[in-house]
Amino acid sequence: MTDSRTIASTLAAATCALLGSTVIAPVNAAEEPVWEFDTALLYYGESDDRVQDLSLNVLAVRNFVDDHVLTLGLGVDTLTGATPIGAMPFDGPQTFTSPSGLQVRSTPAAEIPLDDSFLDTRVALSANWRQPWGRLYTVSGGVTASKEYDYLHLGANLKLARDFNNRNTTVALRLAIASDELDPVGGAPVPLTAMGDINDLSNRLSSESKDIVDIVFGVTQIINRNLLVQVNYSFSSADGYLNDPYKIVSIVDPLSGDPVPRPATPGLDGPSHQYLFESRPDERTKHSIFTQAKYFSAGRVLDLSYRYMSDDWDIDSHTVDVRYRWPLDGRQYVEPHIRYYTQSHADFYRPSLAANTLLPAYASADYRLGEFDAVTVGLKYGWKTESGNEWSARLEFYRADGSVPGKLLVGNQAGREIYPDLDAIIAQFSYRFGK
Amino acid sequence: MGSPCEILVGTDHKDDATKLAEIAAQEAWRVEDKFSRYLPGNIIHRINHSVGEAVAVDSETSELLDFASSLFDISEGRFDITSGVLREVWNFDGGDKIPDDATVAQVLRRVGWQKARWEAPLLQLQDGMQIDFGGIGKEYAVDRAAALLAEHSEVPCLVNFGGDLYATPPPEGFAGWQVGVDAVGVSGTRNLKKIRLRNGALATSGDARRFLLKDGRRFSHILDPRSGWPIEDAPRAITVAADTCTQAGMLATLAMLKGADAEAFLTTERVTFWAERQARAMSVP
Repeated sequence: MTDSRTIASTLAAATCALLGSTVIAPVNAAEEPVWEFDTALLYYGESDDRVQDLSLNVLAVRNFVDDHVLTLGLGVDTLTGATPIGAMPFDGPQTFTSPSGLQVRSTPAAEIPLDDSFLDTRVALSANWRQPWGRLYTVSGGVTASKEYDYLHLGANLKLARDFNNRNTTVALRLAIASDELDPVGGAPVPLTAMGDINDLSNRLSSESKDIVDIVFGVTQIINRNLLVQVNYSFSSADGYLNDPYKIVSIVDPLSGDPVPRPATPGLDGPSHQYLFESRPDERTKHSIFTQAKYFSAGRVLDLSYRYMSDDWDIDSHTVDVRYRWPLDGRQYVEPHIRYYTQSHADFYRPSLAANTLLPAYASADYRLGEFDAVTVGLKYGWKTESGNEWSARLEFYRADGSVPGKLLVGNQAGREIYPDLDAIIAQFSYRFGK
Repeated sequence: MGSPCEILVGTDHKDDATKLAEIAAQEAWRVEDKFSRYLPGNIIHRINHSVGEAVAVDSETSELLDFASSLFDISEGRFDITSGVLREVWNFDGGDKIPDDATVAQVLRRVGWQKARWEAPLLQLQDGMQIDFGGIGKEYAVDRAAALLAEHSEVPCLVNFGGDLYATPPPEGFAGWQVGVDAVGVSGTRNLKKIRLRNGALATSGDARRFLLKDGRRFSHILDPRSGWPIEDAPRAITVAADTCTQAGMLATLAMLKGADAEAFLTTERVTFWAERQARAMSVP
C-alpha cells in the first residue's frame, strides 16, 4: 500500500470486474446536518385598523449524538394598531385619558372605543435541552424569557417522559413555572378606581407581577402503524396581578344604558364619562383536557384535536381543530385547516356597570373574557427542495363573533352592537433548512 | 449472513415490496449457502478440504478469487483470504488469552495467498490452508441483491445486510435515507451518527465487540496475516461511503489494516469516511 491514491481506483476496477456491468451512480453520502433551522415570518392583521402583528421566529435545533438535542428559539414581534379598551359604545362621542395619563383621546359617536396608542416590540428567547435518560426515559428542560416595553416574562420548564409497551406508549409529565412582571405605561391602575384627568396618576401603582405554574400530564399511544392518539390533562395556576392595566368598564345609566357623563374639571382635560379600571381576581386556575388523533396513510395525514378548558373564572371553552395534509406529489402538499372555538364568559364579565348600585368585587369588559365563537379557516401549501429543505406558505382567515347575554345588559342596551366582533388575516411564510 | 438483513422499499404497493424483499433474501441465502465456510458440501468446503489437490471452481467463485487476489496485491499482503486459520489460536471473546509467538508462527505457515496456485479455473492450496470469503461475502451479497432489485424494479430501495448497505435514490421529496451508525461497544444503544445517504453504499469495519484485553493492551480482532498478530492502534470502527458496498467494505477493511494510519490512508484516497477511536461514554443510566 505504498502507492496510495491508486488503491481506490484499482479497487474500483476490481469491483467492476467482480460485479459485472452494473450501472452505478457515484455515491452521495454526508453526515446529517447537525443544525436545523425553522424560520417563519408571520403577519397577523385585524380588520378596521385594529392589531397588526408582524413576527419573525427562528428555531435552531442542534442534534448531538445519542439523541441529545438543543433547541434555541428567537422571536421578534412588532405590534401596532388599536384594541378595544372595554368602554361601552353609544350614540355620542367619548373622551378618555390615555394610559400614560398625559393626554386625552376621543372616540366618535357609535364607535367602539379603541386605544390606538398600542405599539410594542417584543423579543422572546428560549433554550431547551432534551436527552435520553437511561433506556426508557427522556428528560428535557428549558428556559424562556421575553421582553416588551411594559412586560417581562421569565420561565423555566422540565419534562420527563417514559416509554412503555415497546415504545408504543409514552407517558409524560411537564412542569413549567413563570414569573411575569408588568410595568404599565403610567403605572398599573388600582382596580375599580376611576379614570382621572390628565396628569392625575394618584391611583396608579408601580410595577406588578404574577406567577404561573403549569403542569401537563400526557399519554401518547401508537394504536397501529397508521394511527397515533394523545391525551393530555393540564393544570395551570396564575397568581398575582392578572388585570389588563389598559382596560376599563363604563358606568352606565341604569335606565338608558348610556355612559354617565363626568363633570369636567375646569382647566383640565379628562374623560367625558365615568370609567373604572377593571378588576380581576388575583388567582386563576385552569384545567384542560386535550385529545388528539393523527392518522397517516400513504403520505396523507389527518390531524384531529379537541380541547376542553374550564377555569375558576367560569370560562369554559371548546376547541376543535382539523388539519389534513394532502400530498400533491412527492415534493408538494396542501393542508387545509379548520378550527372552531367557543367560550362562555367569565363570571365577572360586565360590558358596563350600572350607576348607583353596589360595585362588584370584580368586573371586566374585556371582550376576550366575553362569550364568543371563533372560526379559523386556512390553507397551507408546502414544497420541498431537492436537498430536503422545505418552504411553506399559509393563509388563514379568523372570525370571532361575540354576544352579550341579556342578563349582563343594563337599561336599553339590548339590540346595540356592544361586543367588538373581529376579523383577522393570518399569513405565514416558513422555510426549514439544515446546515 | 450471521446478522439481521433488511430491505427498505419506497412503494405504496405491498406486493411489490414483498416481491423485492424475496428477491433480495433469495440472493442473500444463495451467496451464503454457496460461500459460507461453515456449510459442508459447498465450494469453500471442497477447497478447504482439498488436501493439497487443485479444485476447479465455477465462474462466480473464480471472479471472487480474482478480486481477492487483487486485494492481496494492492494491500501488500494485508488482506488475505487464507488468514482465517489464525482463528485457531486467536479467540476474540473479550478475554485475555494471548497465544505465544511459537504457536502463532506454527499457524502462520499455513497462511499466505502467495503460497496458493490460482490459475482460473483451478485453485490449489497447500495442505492445511483454507480460504474464507468472510471479509468480502456480505458486501458482495449486498451489491448482488441491489443489482437484482434494479433489474426488477425502479422503486427506491435500500439493501442492508448487517449494517453494510446500498441504496438507490430515495423516494421523491426525501433528501436521503437516514442511516444511523451504531455506537461502538454496546449494542442496542442509540445511534452514534446519522448519515444521510442519497445513493451508493456504506460499510463499517470495526472491532466493537471482538477484541482481547491483556495488561491494559487492547488487541483488535483484525489480524495482520503477515505477522499473525493483531493490528495495533486501529480505530474502533470505520464507516466508508463508496459507489458500491464491496468498495466501501474493502476500503474500510484496508484502512483498519493500516492501524494508526487508517484515517490518513482514507484521506489520501479521498474517500468519504467516519472513524471512531474513542470509547464512547455511556449514557446516564
